Amino acid sequence: MGSVLRLVLALGICGIAAESAGAADGRLYPSGPPNGVAYLRFANLSPAAVKVSSAAGALDLPTSDAQRVGEFDPVTPGTELTGTVAIGDRTAPIKLTLKQNEFVTVAVTAAAEGPPTVTLLREEPSDFNAQKSALALYNVDKNCAEAELLAGDRHTVVVSGVKPDATGRRLVNPVNVALSVGCGAEGGKATGVELGAMAAGDRYSVFIYAGPGSAGRQALALTDKMAPFRP
Amino acid sequence: MNGLLAGLVILVIGDSHMVTNDYLITTLHNDLVQQGATVNSYGMCGTNAGDWVYKTTVSCGEAERHGTKAPVINRQPRSPGWTMEDLIAANRPNLVVVEMGDTMAGYGQQTFAKGWVYEQVRTLTQRIAAHNLPCIWVGPPWGNEGSSYHKTFTRVKEMSDFLAQSVAPCKYIDSTQFSKPGEWPTIDGQHLTASGYRIWGKDISDSIGHMVSSGEIKK
Repeated sequence: MGSVLRLVLALGICGIAAESAGAADGRLYPSGPPNGVAYLRFANLSPAAVKVSSAAGALDLPTSDAQRVGEFDPVTPGTELTGTVAIGDRTAPIKLTLKQNEFVTVAVTAAAEGPPTVTLLREEPSDFNAQKSALALYNVDKNCAEAELLAGDRHTVVVSGVKPDATGRRLVNPVNVALSVGCGAEGGKATGVELGAMAAGDRYSVFIYAGPGSAGRQALALTDKMAPFRP
Repeated sequence: MNGLLAGLVILVIGDSHMVTNDYLITTLHNDLVQQGATVNSYGMCGTNAGDWVYKTTVSCGEAERHGTKAPVINRQPRSPGWTMEDLIAANRPNLVVVEMGDTMAGYGQQTFAKGWVYEQVRTLTQRIAAHNLPCIWVGPPWGNEGSSYHKTFTRVKEMSDFLAQSVAPCKYIDSTQFSKPGEWPTIDGQHLTASGYRIWGKDISDSIGHMVSSGEIKK
């Protein structure tokens, strides 16, 4: 993403690292991220460009599928982060504090009127495995009571029962399979997603969300990216 | 010399366990040479896996050793680090060995930062894989509890198990299998005594030899 926002967040971590190493009580060097680390990303699930702003800077999330979702940026856990998200001249505030090792996706959707809707999808994933592919289903469609991720023509259920504003996860073998999303209560109706061949060790996100007006349900799939923990 | 590793040009990198005479830069390096390999070793104290991809400054010492020459150890407080990319270009290895774990395990921290460790490890393994080079990752030994490094057997086990599932396509050598918890004496809870490094180096070298002879690592 390379944004000013990321730079400032990263600098926040560096400051903590230097302080911690200096107060390390005889340790020659620290082990692990000093005081922990958390990760934050933004997802534009609206039909228009989104701008995220803070006192430190701003980042733009265009509407092309390749650029709708940013990478997970390392941030300092326990520090309140504030800013605004804007779609045109409509804005909504953001204020959140991440816990250690937490991964938070801030999903931005547009209502017909009024400010953008901000949904926080919070999780502490533990499914890191270099021999498998990690699939996550994010349900940002309030009309989908139980989202599910399906594989192949037979719609084999991979992830199921994901409530609105929640996330479901599963480790799978790295294969090239057609994926689709559906809502359990609606039976059989599925929306295809383009992900391509999965690679061992990579992590993937699938978003299910409501499109604008009569566009109906939308789905977006992508490979997760993590920004390096560097100054 | 038994010649088992003849034909291999091995690049060994690691953390502080590789930055002092009689540590792995002496013992493991010697054992690999003894088995017929051409060996180039580099250590950067206190570094994480990502530091070998995104160039860093090393604050507590670095060392390098080539073939049968003596290690060259630099204790300058702010030394420019090496990158895997540069080391591959300079040494043209056909096998990479990574010794790392203690610097990333988060000893003394309540929670284990899986996501962060995974990103660190994957940053390095993907860079090695981009060169189509086989690699072997050596995890941390038990060490001792109750030191200023805050190392605990529970976290060492957690880290080692996590590395085992995170380092692919590298093969994994689980150093905790070589001894019982606390069996190898240390000088500070983390760094072994000279005899400990002799045993650890031999165990690693034997494991690499076994991986080669079994075909798990192709020459």
